[in-house]
Parts: sequence; structure tokens; C-alpha cells
Amino acid sequence: MQTGMQARKYRLQGAGLDLALPYLMLAPGLMVVLGVLVYPLWDGLRASTRAYRYGSPVADVGFHNYVQLWSDAQFLNSLWVTVKFVALSVSIEAVLGFALALFCLHEFRGIRLLRTVLIIPMVITPVVVAILFRLIYASDAGMLTALSEAMGGGGVQILGNPLNAFIGLVVLDVWEWTPLMFLILLAGLQSLPHEPFEAARVDGAGSWRVFADLTFPMMRPVLAIAIVLRTIDAFGTFDQVFVLTRGGPGEATRLISIYGYDTAFKFQQTGYAAALFVTIGLVVLALAFSAIRLLRRIDAS
Amino acid sequence: MSSVLYQKVVKSFGALNVLRSLDLAVPDHKFLALLGPSGCGKTTALRILAGLDMPSAGKVFIGERDVTRLQPRDRDIAMVFQSYALYPQMTVAENIGYPLWIRGTPDAGRKAKIGEVAAILEIGHLLDRRPRQLSGGQRQRVALARAIVRDPAAFLMDEPLSNLDARLRLTMRGEIKRLCQRLSATTIYVTHDQVEALTMADFVAVMHGGELQQMAPPIEIYDRPANRFVATFVGNPPMNILPAALSEKGVIVAGKAVPLDAARLAACRAASIAEIGLRPEDCSAAAADTPDALPGEIYVVEPMGNETLVNVRLEGGNVSVRAGREFRGAVGESIGVAFDPANACFFNSAGLTAVHRVNNNGRVT
Repeated sequence: MQTGMQARKYRLQGAGLDLALPYLMLAPGLMVVLGVLVYPLWDGLRASTRAYRYGSPVADVGFHNYVQLWSDAQFLNSLWVTVKFVALSVSIEAVLGFALALFCLHEFRGIRLLRTVLIIPMVITPVVVAILFRLIYASDAGMLTALSEAMGGGGVQILGNPLNAFIGLVVLDVWEWTPLMFLILLAGLQSLPHEPFEAARVDGAGSWRVFADLTFPMMRPVLAIAIVLRTIDAFGTFDQVFVLTRGGPGEATRLISIYGYDTAFKFQQTGYAAALFVTIGLVVLALAFSAIRLLRRIDAS
Repeated sequence: MSSVLYQKVVKSFGALNVLRSLDLAVPDHKFLALLGPSGCGKTTALRILAGLDMPSAGKVFIGERDVTRLQPRDRDIAMVFQSYALYPQMTVAENIGYPLWIRGTPDAGRKAKIGEVAAILEIGHLLDRRPRQLSGGQRQRVALARAIVRDPAAFLMDEPLSNLDARLRLTMRGEIKRLCQRLSATTIYVTHDQVEALTMADFVAVMHGGELQQMAPPIEIYDRPANRFVATFVGNPPMNILPAALSEKGVIVAGKAVPLDAARLAACRAASIAEIGLRPEDCSAAAADTPDALPGEIYVVEPMGNETLVNVRLEGGNVSVRAGREFRGAVGESIGVAFDPANACFFNSAGLTAVHRVNNNGRVT
């Protein structure tokens, strides 16, 4: 009897340890996540409901910051600039990346080198890319001006002209991020099964029909993921604009990230800036969710 | 429907010769099985006919047309792939109708044709599904339906049954044979399974090492193999091959003198034969002291239910014997292997069949 009780006690201890062990093992990781992810997020949310003066919170203002955003013309304009920038850049990148990926799917001499070269822009530090483009765009001694003058033209105004500056920014983003699209889409294309394409050729389809009836439908999920990733990323574009134009001329290239930065650090409106970024975060989150839902629907049908 | 002709077709990938000068003619309306072990070039031969690979040299004809340099879509063929190759984003109906749709067949005519072939293959209830919602056997039927929805010059099938489980394979084997007979279609069927080749085809072309070994009707392939490779590749268990030496009145096999009739003995002499080939079903298990039986000992006994396979160790090698289901014997026991020399064939030192088995009419062939 005595020994029976003892044995049961030990077993219970063993079972208790088995239950607790996974949590014990997870604890260090959990602490890190709490410290670097959950706490800053919480802090940001709290800041967005406060008013600040000289960097210190002075009052709880509830949702006032959030409400004010929607009557702030500068915010609405920067949102519009951002949406234009993202839509234009990402769609050009998607088309260009897809075309390049289709081209690089073929095996020919030098293809490996070409694939490698195409990836280079993506791995350069964004600030360096921006400096590079400043050297190209600069109106006095930039490469474009030099080129234009060599051909008998005058100086080229890129960063000084609102429309040109915006287009210049889009060109920079396309140059830098088409490789990412290209890489994801190439991987997607390479993972497609071979036989349906051969079957389609035997069944009578030409290159265009093979693309429209097979390649594109089969690539739709990959394309959607690539576009969602790029969109989320493009919404947060900051370094390139900061170096290239600081948002100017006027507000022509003032993306939401630049406006938020100005609000927080130039105008010292920490609470307002927090509310702005929380709002943008929610918008991007909503975009991503709906994109993924759309993807599931396509997949299920 | 059309005939198909390969003329000195060569295919090499760099230094690797996959096909060395293939000459092959498939008559109109006939079912040809391309049979061989993996890597023998049979699939390459089919892909060259389909236009998916280009030959390094030689020509391919479908009917009277030289199609060697034509795109697959201009060859008027239909193909069934090993992995079925269905279009994953399309419904079953769209899959089947695709070859018609691409050729601009009007909706009404297309729908009618889809319904017709779906009925033949008993997949009418699956038309709205997608390929991934189908079982392997159903996918196979859809792939077949897509092939027969048009009336092409030839059907090409690349091991269409090898992804199915054994039971389903048996059913589909019969169904494809029926289908091809019903359509009276010129069919080239690639397989590594000799049973499929023998049961389904009008002609079997056995390939090995990129070369055609023999092309003949199935029974002839089985009874009169052109060489040692065909003899051992076709038949299960394979033909027994033993070294054979000529003697005064016959041949010496496994240390035993086997008498031959004068005509066959002369033929063996003339060809200076080196080996004897015996089908397992032409051998029988006999008592160890039977006068003309080859003496040996039992190596393995495999009861199959309807018969018993007995592997016997002889001097010069092991042989398989198809014994009756009532066979009883233990490993290591002495046994005799009896056979009628008229059923044996003989190979020369180059591995070619020098003397065939005697046909029913007793003619030496």
C-alpha cells in the first residue's frame, strides 16, 4: 500500500513535468517576443492616444489624433501620393518581373550569369541606390544632364520638377525591386509541372495560348503573393525618398512614411505620428488580409 | 488515321546516344507497343514522334507527310502522358474540350463531343470537377478522353498505366485495348511492362540500348525471339539460358547429353551455338533419376496458387520450372528437370537466336 502510493506520487510528478516542460522551453523565446514586439506595439498604441509636448506626454486625448488625421490635407495628400506610388511601381514591377522570369526560364548560354546580374539591384543597400540615382538625376552634373548635353540638349530637371521627381522615384523603385518579383516568379515558374505544357503543345496550343490558358492561371497564386509582399513593402518605402527628395519638390514625393517622419521628428507631434502609423499599419494589414482571402477563393474555385 | 514511319532516326544528347538509327514502321490502324527497360530510348522515340524532341538525324513520317521539323500542334496527334498532364486550373470538361477549343470548334459541337467521349469513358458525372478532385484512375480516363476527343492521325501513349495501382492497371489495360480497337486507331504505346505489351498490342517492338531488337506480333516475340535479350526480357519468369556444347548426337547441357533430331543438329552445328534457351513452362519437374532429365537440386520453391515456381540449381546455372500446384519438394532435395528439346531454342556466341523452337507443324525454323 505504502509503496503503491509512492509510485503514484512519482508518476504524477513525471506527468506534471511533462506538461510544464514545453512552456519552460518556450519561455526565453516568449520573453524576447514580448520585449521587442509586443511591448513596442503596445507603447505605440498608447502614444497614439496622447498629446505630447517637448517629447513628453502631457494629456490623454483618446481617439482625437485618429479623428484629426482625416481632416489633415497634408496627410490625405501624402496618402494619395503613396497609393499612386505603390500602385504604379508594383504593377510595373509585376509585369516586368514576369516578363523577365519567362525569358530567363529558357536555358541558353550565359543564362546563369544573366540571372545573377538581374538580382544585383535588390541586394544593394537602399540608401546607396538612392545616392546612385541622385548622381543620375542631379540637374547640374547628373548623368542624364551630361547625356542630354552631349547630344546637344539642355540640362535635365528631374528632382526639381514635381511630376519628373515622382516618375524618377517610381523608376528608382522599379529598378531596385523588379529583381524581387523576378526571383519569386522565376521560382514559381520553375516549380510548375512540365507535362501539362507539353500536352498543350500536342493538343494544338501556340505560345500565346499556352501562356494564357496554362502559365498565367497556374502562376496566379505566386503572382498574388509576390504582389502582396511588394505592396506591403512599398507602403513602407522611406530611405530612398529621404535621400533622393525628402518628399519634395513641394509634396510631390512626400510618401506617408516621410510625412510621418516629419510629424514625429520635425514637428515633434509624437502622438499624432503614432496615430498615423497605426492607421497605415491597419490599412496595410487589411489589404494583405483581403489579398490572401482573394487568393484562397481563387484557389478553392 | 495514318501509318507512322521512323527512318534512320538518331538522337544523341552530347556524347550519349539515346537512339542509334531507328527504323520502324507502324501500319495504319495498328497498335504498336514500344517495349524495353528504362533508358532504352523508347520514350525518346515517342517524344520525337510527338515533336517534343527533335531527332539529331533521320526522318519521321505520319501518313505520307514528313513531320520531322513540324511543331507538335501541326502533326495531328494526340498524346497520353505518364503523369496524365491534365490542366490543373480547368474542369474535366474544359480539359477534354481543350484540343477542340483551341481549334475553334463551335460551342455546341464541342459540348456534344465532350459528352460523347465522357460517356464512352464513363466520366460523365465528373465533368464539373477539377483534376485534383479525381482519383488516379479517373484522371487517367480524363487524359484518355482528351486524347480521343479529336480524330487524330495517331495516338501516342507514354506508360499511361504505370502510375496506377496494380488492380486498376489490370482493368484499364483491358479498357484501353477495347477503346483502341473500337476507334481502330493507329497507336504507339510505350511501356516497360511486357505483360501490357503482349496483351494489348498488334505488334511489339522491343528496344534495348537505343536499338530496335525485334518487331513482331506478340506471339512471335514470345515464341521466336530474335536474340538473347528479347528472349530473356519477354516472359515471366524469364527464359532460362544455359551454356550448351555440341556433341555427336545432340548438345550437352548441364553435364547431360540431350539428343537432337538430325535437321536441328545440323543447324546448330552450322551456327556453332553457345547457349540453349528454355521457357519455364517447357520444363517440368521430374524425379532425380529420370533418364533424360537434367539433374539438380531445389533452390527455391514459390507456390503461386495456380502453379508452383521451382528454381533449380543445375550445373551451369539456375533454371525456373513451372510445376503444377500439387508440387511438393524441399529446398536442397535432388530433382530432375525434364524438357522436350523441340521446344528449346539455341543462341550463337553473339547472342542471336540461331535455331528456333520447333513449331506445331514440326517445321524446323
